Parts: sequence; structure tokens; C-alpha cells
Amino acid sequence: MVKYAFFLGCQIPMRLPNIEVATRKVFEKLNVEAVDLLGYSCCPEPVVSRLVDEETALVISARNLTLAEEMGLDMITLCNGCYETLAEANEVLKHDAEKRSKVNEILRKYDREYEGKIDVKHVIEVLYEDIGLKKIKSLVVKPQKMRVALHYGCHLYREYKSADIMRKPRMMREMVEQTGVQVVDYGLERMCCGYPSMQASEEFSLKERLARKLSKVVSAGADAVVTACPACMIQFELGQVMLRAHGVQFNVPCINLMELLALSFGVPSKELLLEFHRSPVLQLIRRLEG
Amino acid sequence: MVVQLESEIINYLREILGDDLIKVYRQRERRIFAIIKPAVLRRTIEALKSKYSDMRFMTLSAVDNGLDMEYLYHFNINGIVLTIRVLRPKEEPILESIADIIPAANFIEREISDLFGVKLVNHPELDPSGLILTKDWPEDQRPLRRPFEGVLPLKARPVAEALIASGCVAPISTFVQKKREESGLQKSPPFPFTNEKILGEYHGIIKASGIGDRVGFDWEKRRLRYK
Repeated sequence: MVKYAFFLGCQIPMRLPNIEVATRKVFEKLNVEAVDLLGYSCCPEPVVSRLVDEETALVISARNLTLAEEMGLDMITLCNGCYETLAEANEVLKHDAEKRSKVNEILRKYDREYEGKIDVKHVIEVLYEDIGLKKIKSLVVKPQKMRVALHYGCHLYREYKSADIMRKPRMMREMVEQTGVQVVDYGLERMCCGYPSMQASEEFSLKERLARKLSKVVSAGADAVVTACPACMIQFELGQVMLRAHGVQFNVPCINLMELLALSFGVPSKELLLEFHRSPVLQLIRRLEG
Repeated sequence: MVVQLESEIINYLREILGDDLIKVYRQRERRIFAIIKPAVLRRTIEALKSKYSDMRFMTLSAVDNGLDMEYLYHFNINGIVLTIRVLRPKEEPILESIADIIPAANFIEREISDLFGVKLVNHPELDPSGLILTKDWPEDQRPLRRPFEGVLPLKARPVAEALIASGCVAPISTFVQKKREESGLQKSPPFPFTNEKILGEYHGIIKASGIGDRVGFDWEKRRLRYK
């Protein structure tokens, strides 16, 4: 059994508990023990926090990292944004003595100290490296017969262990392929979904990013989009609803990687809180289940 | 001689103000800055005037930094320039007059009051407005007043506010809590806001980082001072 400190983030437990449910079911099947982090806070979120105040963002990240250090466990994240924030903070604090000293000066007031003893891993890395594709494939009892387009999410390309930014996206693709789906290429995989641009311009975000991607996804004949990031999922689902106000209609289901794994492992769809989806995922799954 | 006088002024301010002196520093030769609490402004100036009889009031300048008004009182004491800095929150846009102690401050206070739209309190003139602008100048169109806001862009405010106040950027609804429980999850994940002790630690760390002051967070009301 592999054991990790479980960093859930904000969006998943608060807005997308369907992803948390699916993940816990998948972990159970794969013998991954995920220990909850008591008192963890937002990572903090990568778009606003670091731009406004880098030092505070580092302190908040460091506090979260000390919670995992106390347990002596590496940290696992489900969200691309949380992954980037925490993994980057971990790298900065491990190698920049001045910043670590400033951060620890604040943390010590509360009997905390960042020591740089743990690693931060995305769930994709854990499943691929610690569990392996062979084990994952062996658990697939209900292959998902659909054509899917992959959206990896920008933060998944952030790489701290090698120069190969495609390392984790490639892992995700290989993992998705174990579930019985057919992955279709649509040419705009690398393009941002537009979630962070919503801070600046809703119209740009929806029309110049999301709608462009969705057009290509539909043209490629995909039944659904699979993503590993909750923020991207919100953009793909809520964004399609918002696009209607701009006179643009799409109806593409968007499903999380962990949900796809859970379904292929035979977890009944009614246990997965799929009603939380704002895109027609329920309809797609019902159609597949006949 | 100069260094001796500089030290004397700094020590005197420390002696008369105690904890009401937020910070005092010598920026360079013949240049001292003292940041004090607004409540002791008049007492400080009276004490300085009484100790240094040849102290000369140079001018008063004002800066609207978005969240607060900063008033800088510049004095010359035997060739050394002492600036007393006072910060007042814009929620109470006032300028406390010192014109009864320092008559030379009379006109500059009125000018600042007109241009920034701050109310002059205890000024010797019964109606001090209308020195630079007309008396009927609209209150909401003062030439040097900036909008009441901090460094956060509009769309970033809800995220920053939630992050500081609760440690979590997404609210949880009762519907989600119910659904979580039904599916075997904890009603709410173990965020700081679910435990007062942990929230206290989290807030302490955030306060110490200084972001609350930089973005204008009201710790008592647990929200941003502006919308």
C-alpha cells in the first residue's frame, strides 16, 4: 500500500465533490491510502495570490507543506493548480535559503517550521509511477466505449523533475487509454481552456479560448472531454452554459480523469454524484450503460 | 552638532510618545521621519513647539493612497527637517486642524480639505471650505481624491477576501454538505474555518505576512474594507 498526505484543495470538496468521491473509490481499489490534512487551507490558488503577494502565497503554501511534513508523508494533489502552487513553493523554499528563512520566521511564531522534507506529487504521477499501468488495466472491468478528447490543463505541463514538459500529459494519456476509451486528437490540446482569463475578460475567455477548443473537439468526433483539473472542468461545464448568452451552443460532456477510472473499475455511476455535472455527463453514461 | 540635535529630536519623540510612536527614523543627514498615531498629533506638535521655540512649520502635504489618507507635517528645527506622518483611514475622511497651534497651517489645511474632500475638524474658520474650489463643488468629484480601493483588481477581490477570511476560496453550500454526507464523505473538509483554534493560527500567519494591510482587510469584520 502507498500512503500520502491528501491535499484536496478548495474547488473539489466545495463545488465538485463528485471528483472527491470518485478519487476515494479509485484509491480504495488501488490500495492508495490518502490521509486527510487537518487544518489545511487553500494552496493558495495560483492566479490571484501569487500576482498580488508572492511572499504571502509562499507562507500559505509552506504552512500546508508543514502539515504533511508533520505526518512524514509526501503530498498528493488532485488539482493541477494546487499541484503547481505547492510543488513550485516546495522547490523555491528548498533551494532559496533567504525566502525559506523569511517564511520560517513567520511560521515559528506558531511552532511551525518548513524543513523541505517532502515531495509534492500530482495524482497522475502517483497512479502512473507508484501503481503502474499494468495494475490499473487489470482493474478495468467495464471498458468505457467512447471517443474522448483530452484536455490536460496548463499547470500539468509544469515540470520540476525533468526538462520534459510532456511527462505528465503523456502519463495521463496512457492512463486514459487503459479505460477502454478511444482518444481522439483535435489539435488544440495545448491551448488553455480560458479559466484564468475569466479574471480579465469573460468574452475573450469564452469565445477565444473555450469555444475554439470545443469547436475542434466536436469536429474531431469526440463524445466527451476528459480533464484532470477541477478548474478546467468548471470552465468546460459552466463555460458552455455561459456561452449560450453569447449565442454559441455546445453540449459536450466533460468528465474528470478520476471519474473515468472509477467508472471503468466498475463503480456504479449512481455512487459517483454525477448529478453535480453541468454538462450532459449523466446522459452520456446512461447511454453507454444502455 | 547636527548629529547631536538629530539624536535629541528622535529621543525626545520616543520619550513623549512611547507606544504612540509607530516608527522614527533618520532618512539621511538633517532628515527625520516619525510615524505617529493620529490621536496624538496635536499633543506631539504642542510638545515639539514648546521644546523647540524656533521650530518653523514648513508645510503640510497629503497623499491619497487609495485606502488611507496620509498627512505629512514638515517642520524645520535649526536646519533639520522633521516630518511627522499620520495615516487616517478613508472610512473617516477627516483632517484634524492644528491651525490654532500653528497658525501657518491654516491655508494649506483648507487647500487639502478642498482638493481631497476631507472634512476639516476644529479649524478656526467657521466655514473653511471654498479656498481653492467653489463652495458648491460636488463632494464626489474632488480633483485629488482617488477611488476608495486597495491594490486588488476588481475580479480578484472575492478570491483574496475568501482566502484571508476563511483559508478557502470556494464557499460550501448546504446542498453540497448534504450530498457529501449522503455519499459517505465528511460534511465539510477540514479547512481552518471549521476549527477556531486552527483558524486563529492561520489568521496569525496571514497577519504576520502583512497581506491584510497591503490589500486593506478589516480583521474585525473579516472582509475587505472596500467592495
